[in-house]
This record gives sequence, structure tokens and C-alpha cells, in this order.
Amino acid sequence: MRILVVEDDTNLNRQIKDALTEGGYAVDVAFDGEEGHFLGDTEPYDAVVLDIGLPQMDGLSVLEEWRRAEKSMPVLLLTARDRWSDKVQGIDAGADDYLAKPFHMEELLARLRALVRRAAGHASNEITAGPVRLDVKAGRVTVDGQAIKLTSHELRLLSYLMHHKGKVVSRTELTEHLYDQDFDRDSNTIEVFVGRLRKKLPEELIHTVRGLGYQILED
Amino acid sequence: MRKGSIAFSLFWLSAGWLIVALAGTAFLLTDLYSRTLDTDLTNQLRFDVETLTSATLDSTDPNFADVALPDPRFSRVSTGWYWAIRNEFGDVIATSRSAVGLLMPTLSGNFGVDNYRSDALVDEAGNHIRAIERSTSSNGRPLRITVTGNLDDGLERIGAFRGQTLIVLGAVGIALAIMSAIVARLAMRPIGRLGRAIEAVREGEAEQIAGTYPREIAPLADEVNELLRSNTQIIERARNAVGNLAHGLKTPIAVLRNEAGAAPDSPLSSVVTSETAKMQQLVATYLDRARIAARTAIVGKRADATMVMLRLVRVMQKLNQNVTIAFKRPDASIPWFRGDESDLEEMAGNLLDNACKWSHGSIAVTMASERTPAAQFLVIRIEDDGPGLTEDEASKVLRRGVRLDEKTPGSGLGLDIVKELVDVYGGSLHLKRSVLGGLLAELRLPAAKVGGLVRN
Repeated sequence: MRILVVEDDTNLNRQIKDALTEGGYAVDVAFDGEEGHFLGDTEPYDAVVLDIGLPQMDGLSVLEEWRRAEKSMPVLLLTARDRWSDKVQGIDAGADDYLAKPFHMEELLARLRALVRRAAGHASNEITAGPVRLDVKAGRVTVDGQAIKLTSHELRLLSYLMHHKGKVVSRTELTEHLYDQDFDRDSNTIEVFVGRLRKKLPEELIHTVRGLGYQILED
Repeated sequence: MRKGSIAFSLFWLSAGWLIVALAGTAFLLTDLYSRTLDTDLTNQLRFDVETLTSATLDSTDPNFADVALPDPRFSRVSTGWYWAIRNEFGDVIATSRSAVGLLMPTLSGNFGVDNYRSDALVDEAGNHIRAIERSTSSNGRPLRITVTGNLDDGLERIGAFRGQTLIVLGAVGIALAIMSAIVARLAMRPIGRLGRAIEAVREGEAEQIAGTYPREIAPLADEVNELLRSNTQIIERARNAVGNLAHGLKTPIAVLRNEAGAAPDSPLSSVVTSETAKMQQLVATYLDRARIAARTAIVGKRADATMVMLRLVRVMQKLNQNVTIAFKRPDASIPWFRGDESDLEEMAGNLLDNACKWSHGSIAVTMASERTPAAQFLVIRIEDDGPGLTEDEASKVLRRGVRLDEKTPGSGLGLDIVKELVDVYGGSLHLKRSVLGGLLAELRLPAAKVGGLVRN
């Protein structure tokens, strides 16, 4: 899952980035509206954390531009203004959720998780495929109730495939959604991680669709 | 500040002049009348003198025993109407019958060029008399012919005239005084109107002074409006400054708090955590104050409640896709809310937010209008199928700052804001048990007098 954080306060930006990285997301950051708009317009993100008060171009305009260009990724608005009229304005501009500053990092993570999940069409924090159960909130994986230890990269890969259960996901898509901008993208690494996951989980869970990518089948 | 009354001063000033002018008029009229009466009497007496003069010429008797005046008043004794004919030494040759036995008064002063002289005297009977005397000669005999007339009749008539004049002028004076009082009040009326307009502004019934005023006080009304405008601007700017400061502080507070939260065991972070909590409280308090300050200037506004509810339901539906919000759109006759649109959003939004937080999947929103003899109300009911509240819990949450469950996200200020706003608008908030099984929040707000049918 790749997230874009657009926040002009460098400290808050870093904190959100750290928290999200720790939560198993690949994170790109932008510090002003124009940069944020450009990134969101050109890169595929699974969700965006967008501050409203931004230099160069304010958050609502960025959001409206994205929606006009039919970018449909879920957007969580961050704002200091928490009146209902502000909320209504934000939601009407195309936001999917709204968080008022100052906030607890856990709440930001929870809301973001919900947004990503909802965008993928899952109702709860737990996604299952056969004997495999993924707790998105805790970042925990169990097979038949047994906890499995995964590295963060493995978890990201599994999580993305589980979220898009039933869909064939290409290697490029995986690279784009699992690593941030600065990551040295080598599609071989994906294969390496898929191989490791197959060793830790039931082998038939992740199918290889020749020439197209990988797939976790619907139950 | 209070110093007399303009209307009163105007009234007394005009009334004072009236009294002086009317008293002067009364005096002048009476004087003119008495002069006229005197002149009439003098003319009559001169005529009598001339009649006597010609009678002496016609007389055959040296003592003028056959001389008489036809006027019967000269025949009655002591009436003040006398005549006498004297020789050049002043010896009486003949008198009217009325003067028999009386000493004819003698005139002093010189004869005029027409050989007449005149004097006002008192006779022996005490009558005030006007005496006219002519020095003449009859058939070579120098004579002095004196005729007198009673002035008292005239004086009586003058007295009566003066009385009548005073009555008439008094009535005129009273009428004029009433008129000047009315004029003074009329003249002051726009000032009273202006005062009431300013009061309406202070009471929040109007934003500025409306209506047209006479040229004399129109500048005053304009100046007051200008003052109000600049005042509003100053308040607006101050409020914005407070708002910007408070909002601007939120990001650094968030940063500090997050940073401290990342290292919960260090003593520094516990200080930072507690201090940022205080800062956050201050920010919240001053934002609240700024909102309340803003609210004083919003009476006279109204909002289309249906539109607000539609918007809120749309937003909440998007934010909470796991619940279904059933909103029965009322017909166009539903009244508007008498107050600020964003305040209505704040009240209904927070209630709707609470409903979403607690609901198991189903929320119903209905609107109604309620009329009491005194006022019309707009009722918004928001109910959910959540756990609901017992009566005890309901009365507890309506107290300030109380949260029943610290785990559900939110600052717990939501209901406080609702309650505060409900109080500001003189509405009411009731928490009951819903037929859906959860909580029914009933918001009763004042309805705008007009508006329901304005919507297209």
C-alpha cells in the first residue's frame, strides 16, 4: 500500500511518514500543494493524507483538480478548521474522510486503514483467504490460527494481494504500490518476496498468472 | 448625559414668546379701542358744541334760556353729560338741566388754533368726564361753550372689551401652545425613530439603521451606520486574528504531541504531553469565544434547514458507509431556521455524528414544524439503532464536558457545542429512547417568520 502525505509542516510530515512506514505502508511526501498535486496526478497511490492549508496551492484545490482528472484514490483531509461547514466543504470537494488537528496518530492510522479497506471493498479489518487471515489493524497474519512472522516487505506484498483478492495484480502494479518513489525498483525483488511468502504460507495461496502477474483467489 | 429636553425647551421658548406677544396684543388692542371710544366721544362733544354755538346765534334771549340740546342725557342730573355757556370772565350764563345745582368744572390749558380745548376731569358726582370747550363769540359777545360727556360708560365698555380680548387671546394662546407642543413632538419624532433603530441594532434585530431621515439627522444615521460598519470590521478582523492564531497553533501542538507520544517514558515527553494538552484546551476555549463573539452579530439571519440537513446527511453518508441514513425530506412548508446556517450545521452535524458513532447501521432523520401560541419551532429528530441512553445517562451527558465512553473517538465537546448553541438560540435539546432502539435526539429551534415558501 502506497500512501502520499501532503503536509507543509516538516515535522508533522515526518511524523506521519514515520508512523505510516511503521504501519507497513510505502510513503511519499510532498510539502506544498503543487508538488503534492503533481505526485498524486502521476503516481498511483492507495490513499492520500492531504492538509488543507498548503503553500502554492491549497489542499481543496488540489483535491478538486484530482477529482476533475478522475483520480479516485481515497483522500483523508487534515485540517485545523473543524467546523461542520469546513467538513461539508471538504467532503463536497471530494474527500473521503476528515481529521481535525491536533489528532492522535492512532486515529490517523485507523481512518487511513478504513479508507484503503473501503476502497478495496472490504468491510472489516480482517481479510481472509482460505486458512490465511490478515488483521490489517495489527499487521498480523495467521494460518489456521497459528501466527506467522513476516518481514515488513512480505507483509506489504501479502496485504496488497489480499486487499485485491480475486484480481490479477501485475508486477509493475506491485512495484508501484509497495515502494515509495525513491526505492530502487527492480521487479526481481517482487519475485523474491513472493517466493519467501510461499514458503511461509500455504503454497497454493498465491497463484502465478503467466505473463500477467499474481493472484489470490476468492474463496 | 441627560440634560433637559429639546422638545420641552422648544415648547417653552415658543410658549414664552406667545405669552409676551399675546399680552402685548391684548394691551395694544385695548388701548386702540379706548382711543377710538375717546375720539368718538370727543367728536360727538364737538358736534354738540357746534350745535350750541349755532343755537346761541339763533337765540333771542340774552341769557340763552331757549338754548338746549336735544340729547335727553343733558336733561338728567349728575349723569356727567353737561353743557354750559360762560362769558369771557368765566361766569356761567346758561347750563344744561343736568348741571343745575352743580359746580361746572373748569378746564385748564390753552385753546388750540381751532379755539378748542379738551380735558379729562372728575365732576362733583364722581363721574369721569371728557370736557370740550370752545372759545367763540356770538353776535359780538365773546363766549365759552363747554360740553362734557361721561367717560365711565366708555371705561366700562373698555373693561368688557379687555375681558373679551383676554378670553379670545387666551384661547388662541392655548391653541397655539398645543400646536407648538405638537410641532415640537413632531419635530422630535425622527429622533425617537432613530433611537429605536439604534436600539434594534443593539438588540440584534437589525444589522444597520434602516429608513430615511430628515436632512438634519440623516448625517447622524449615516455616521452611526458607518460606525457600526467599522466596528463590525474591527470585530471581524480581531476574530479572524484569534481564529487564525488558534488554528495556526494546532499544527505545532499536533507535532509536539506526536513527538512526545513517540517516547512515552522520557520525562521531557510527559511535560510536553501535559503542556500541549493545556495549550490545546486554551486554543479550544478561545476558538469557542471567537465563535460566540461572532454569534452576537448574526441575529436577523436565517437558514434553509432542509438544505442544511440534506448536505449533512450526504456528508455523513459518505463518511459512514456502513450506516444507512434515512432522511425524509419535508415538504416546502417546513419553516426556515432563525439563525446562522453554520450554527445549525454545527448542532445537527454533531448530533448526526454521534448517531453515526453509536449506530448499528440505521439512522433516521426527520423534520417537523411545531407551533405554540407564542412562537413557531423547527424540530429536527435524529435517531439511531445503537445502544441508546438511560434517563440518568441522558441527563448526565447534557451536563458540560461529560463523556460516557472515552474510547469512542471525539473530544466530547460535540454535545457541549450543541447545548451552548441551543441555549444561544433559545431552543431545546431532548434525548429520548428511539423506536429504532437507540437514542432519539430532538432538537427544537426557533423558526424564521418567513422563508418556508421562498425556496424554489
